[in-house]
Amino acid sequence: MTSRQDERLLDGPLVPVACRRCAAQVLVRKSTWEQTSIQWNAAARAACVGIEDPHDTCPALRSAIQEAALTGSVKVVDG
Amino acid sequence: MIHVTATESDAVRAIEAEAVSSRFARGWHCLGLAETFKDGKPHTVQAFGQKLVVFTGADGKTNVLDGYCRHMGGDLSQGTVKGNEIACPFHDWRWGGDGRCKQIPYSRRVPLRARTSAWPTMEQDKLLFVWNDPEGKQPPEDVRIPVIAGATRDDWTDWRWTEQIVHTNAREVIDNVVDMAHFFYIHQSFPTYFKNIFEGQTATQIMKGVTREDSRRRREGSGGGGPRMLGNTSVASYHGPSFMIDELTYHYEGYDLTSVLINCHYPIDENSFSLHSGIIVQHSDKLPPEAAEATAQKLSEFILVGFQQDVEIWKNKTRIDNPLLCEEDGPVYQLRRWYEQFYVDAAEVKPEMTDRFEFEIDTTRPVESWKKEVEANLARLDAEGASA
Repeated sequence: MTSRQDERLLDGPLVPVACRRCAAQVLVRKSTWEQTSIQWNAAARAACVGIEDPHDTCPALRSAIQEAALTGSVKVVDG
Repeated sequence: MIHVTATESDAVRAIEAEAVSSRFARGWHCLGLAETFKDGKPHTVQAFGQKLVVFTGADGKTNVLDGYCRHMGGDLSQGTVKGNEIACPFHDWRWGGDGRCKQIPYSRRVPLRARTSAWPTMEQDKLLFVWNDPEGKQPPEDVRIPVIAGATRDDWTDWRWTEQIVHTNAREVIDNVVDMAHFFYIHQSFPTYFKNIFEGQTATQIMKGVTREDSRRRREGSGGGGPRMLGNTSVASYHGPSFMIDELTYHYEGYDLTSVLINCHYPIDENSFSLHSGIIVQHSDKLPPEAAEATAQKLSEFILVGFQQDVEIWKNKTRIDNPLLCEEDGPVYQLRRWYEQFYVDAAEVKPEMTDRFEFEIDTTRPVESWKKEVEANLARLDAEGASA
């Protein structure tokens, strides 16, 4: 079994977003204003202090992503 | 805006599928209710591409060994439990749960190489688990199945457990973790919120849904007694490659019903698996013990209907390594990347397989579309009712 790439990333790649509360930098993609993909790495996960319940998205990071979408640094694919 | 070039849009999309690997996932696999194996008899279990014998010794410990006796190949699962050992029906060689031959009654000594494969086992929450590892290593301390509190508490029902054999590769059942739309089209649910989180050995699906009026009408007719179910909230996590715990809350008018659903499997071979479901329901003011038992029974039957709906699809579909996804689909590729960690040597597990990944679907368009479909179905049911 070889890992394949999600072809949706061809229409809009993951781009870095930095959290302002901690040093976490993650990769983000938004296909619409309501859809969000967040790819973490070990360094970002270790830095994050905002995930109390592992099923929740860090609220500080969520704000950072919203702002990045508003300023256009994260391009909303179907925006 | 996405611009698709003529060549891209004109080319026929090919379905790709590599041969299915005959390697089986590393991890804890549930074999079912522990008490099933405590009847003093050996049990035949076909799993991980081979025949296993499962038996409980006089000491109460349940053991899993390779099914075939190393002496002359007798089937140990046709043998007899004697003390803490399984005795081969062919020549009475006695095998311990550690995989060593303990005794050959007609021989003065046991040969040096009398050792067979033994699978580590674990009992938790009245369930029996077996550890599979193609590298033959013991389960690491930190690889655990979470304890399910309700399974051993008096204010919950006992397990309602089901088992069935499904003739396809186990990846099909895993794919459901990210497949929001099939819950509408196959299972007559109506998801309104859907999010996945993969991290470490855990893959989670968080789903909220509302009750479909058209399905209810088809089930109950226009009358329909009893309290109205409004919807449900489900937080379902695979812990490792095969054991999913779903904290499933049904919302009724005025109260909630709290349950835990298990959806688990073990591979029989690369083309079939044993699919299990288990459910427990918490007692409450609205749901005294007898009513909770009846509800658990009903839910268990409901889950089986759901499995049947999946099986119908699996029986006829083809394996596909390159699913073509729209933006309202879940993260199939990222889920498979997570799942792959269980199919490579422990040393080969790459960070991208276990790094946290979150994916929340925008359900605006699906909900719009499904509302219309439900309304159309209701109009049709009304028309049929009027003409009847």
